Amino acid sequence: MLRKLTPYLFVAPLMIFIAVFTYIPILTSLNLSVRQWNFLTPDMPFVGLRNYEELLASAEFWNSLRVTVVFAVLSVPLRLGAALLIASRLLRETVSSRLLRGAFFLPSVTSIVSIAVVFSWVFATDYGMVNWILHLVGLGRPQWLQDPYLALWVLIVVNTWRQLGYDIVIYIAGLQAIPQELYDAAAVDGGKRFDVFRRVTIPLVMPTTYFLLVISVIEAFQVFTIVNVMTKGGPAGATDMLVNLLYEIGFGLFDIGRGSALAVILFVLLVGLALLKSRIIGSKVHYEA
Amino acid sequence: MPPTITRLVNVVHAPVAHPRYFTLIAIPFAAERTMIRKLHAAVAVSVFALLAVGSSAEAATTVKFWHTFNKTNGEALTKIIASFEAAHPDIHVEQEFVGNYNDMVAKLQAGIPARRTPDAVILEITRYGLFANNNVLTDLTPYVDADPLKNDLYDFAREIGTIKGKNYVVPFNSSTPVLYFNKDIFTRAGLSVDTPLKTFDDVLAAAKTIQAKLGSEGISGIGAPGQFARWGLVMSNDSELIDPKTNDILLDKPNTIEAYQWMASLVSQHKVASPDGVTDEDKGNALFMAGKVGIDMDSTGSYGGRKKALGDNLVVRPMPCNKVCSVPIGGAGIGIMASSPKEVQDAAYKFVSYAASPEANAIWFAATGYLPINKKSATLAVTLKALETQPGIDVAINSLPYAHGRARTTVVTWMRTNEYKVWQSIALGQRKADEALKDFAEQTRKENQRAGN
Repeated sequence: MLRKLTPYLFVAPLMIFIAVFTYIPILTSLNLSVRQWNFLTPDMPFVGLRNYEELLASAEFWNSLRVTVVFAVLSVPLRLGAALLIASRLLRETVSSRLLRGAFFLPSVTSIVSIAVVFSWVFATDYGMVNWILHLVGLGRPQWLQDPYLALWVLIVVNTWRQLGYDIVIYIAGLQAIPQELYDAAAVDGGKRFDVFRRVTIPLVMPTTYFLLVISVIEAFQVFTIVNVMTKGGPAGATDMLVNLLYEIGFGLFDIGRGSALAVILFVLLVGLALLKSRIIGSKVHYEA
Repeated sequence: MPPTITRLVNVVHAPVAHPRYFTLIAIPFAAERTMIRKLHAAVAVSVFALLAVGSSAEAATTVKFWHTFNKTNGEALTKIIASFEAAHPDIHVEQEFVGNYNDMVAKLQAGIPARRTPDAVILEITRYGLFANNNVLTDLTPYVDADPLKNDLYDFAREIGTIKGKNYVVPFNSSTPVLYFNKDIFTRAGLSVDTPLKTFDDVLAAAKTIQAKLGSEGISGIGAPGQFARWGLVMSNDSELIDPKTNDILLDKPNTIEAYQWMASLVSQHKVASPDGVTDEDKGNALFMAGKVGIDMDSTGSYGGRKKALGDNLVVRPMPCNKVCSVPIGGAGIGIMASSPKEVQDAAYKFVSYAASPEANAIWFAATGYLPINKKSATLAVTLKALETQPGIDVAINSLPYAHGRARTTVVTWMRTNEYKVWQSIALGQRKADEALKDFAEQTRKENQRAGN
């Protein structure tokens, strides 16, 4: 009996941790999403699907969904593409490669709030460094954080810059796992550099790409700190991504029911996207050469 | 039990300084005897220390106090708390800075279900209604009625802490918006220090001159008005956002729309205000303090910080009186949580009362520029010295005859949270003021109904 229980005892601490910090909050959110609550009173009347109906009928929700999808569609390929290219150039074990890997990775371990505060000044319209340089070379002063289109791009660039180092490190690990013989064979066959990259490197690094794709899409849908510090969802909702809207509804307007409904929708959306990616891309991922 | 352990147990259990204690232990070795003696001493010291700590913890009541003051204002508050604790050694005020007014509301609201709330809390004067109406705050009326302090408070200070006749907060940091300008920038732009700044046209003319003369040096004419200043400018245009008496939504009143149109024109049409301040109010304030903005409108509570930054170049004027002279009373008061035990509430009220006392209020006024709320503080040496040595600190006091309390119903919090987006859309030219404000007024009315005001 004890022998049978032993494995469960070993995994119990982790399972308890996951239950307390993941599953119980998910179930609590589910429960709160069908109630009306503002934190202040013990009463949480059951309102059925009203929170979902109100959310789906609001322009803010659809705007946030649109902005988040645009952010993900633009930032994920940019991140992964740049990371793969840079990683392929930093494969060699030289001093400069190691230094550059460290330099690229540094933003990943830097406080997001600090990054966001610094970049909000870098991109300030009248007093920012970017516009100061543009002004020196005779160009105008774009309103980076006040123009609805530019503000989203600024967030994409800053987020990509921050995440790039992590993606590069993972890609380097993936690229190093590709057997050298395949490159030698391609060279013998007279393969050009670009063709080798397209036909050997990209297919064989697919497991890494797939992993990073899943992670980066989830991250793109959950981006919050950079948005909240740099734009607070502005100007006028132009960068109001789903988690920022969730925070605003929950902790700005204190509508916990509606905030929880949004959290549930986000959860379903992410699970759906993961399944979709698995269906479309999963079959194209080769784990062996 | 092994003999050594038996001896140790005897040591630990032996009554301290009991005459039998030394005879109980038969220790064969000198070293062991020394060790046991040290252990005994350590136990005795520990017991004494524990008793001392325990008795002091029992004697002092701790009041957890959440507030919104850092830097210059935070230093002044710490000074007030220290003098309160010196006068009340049985009360310890455990202060915690939690961010700005918005952060405070968010943190307090999140803390309530988690039962991690303070005992006393600073709440912005238009937003405490949310908590009062939900029975989160203690009704302070019995405390205030029994406190001689009530006779010493200015009428405005007594009024802003009450909802439907019940007192929920005692004002601590009251303010009105004022108009600040940088004397050095004015002089360099060829403007006299006495340049009239009474109407919207006056302010715009001065801002245009600064922008034209010094824009190439990276200096803006005026800072984009923050939310408190926006409210003040609407009032000076003879309107309101929400009627403080009837709670009617006035966001789409023609004079409100006109005021917003003028404010937005500073950024989008005349380009005398940096758009940076539209999306980030803190950035606007920082730029003024860095000497990059000529004129700025903000709370008198920022006087201390601005004075520190600009020194004698800081000039303070009343807010413009465009159609009428009328300014909002802002700032915050201290409320006490209904969930705190009675003895802690009593101790918290002693602090609340002290914070509004002449002595504390004088320190606060002199250090920060917030309005005096206690009539008796006016005659104290600290106040007199501040009035004499800090020109402009009295501007807000002089505005009091036309200062008014604002609506503080539940919907105000909702309205203020959403107003930022509406302002941004107008100021950055994405929506017309009348269209945006009419929509916003409708939404606010719906929310008002939903909230059951």
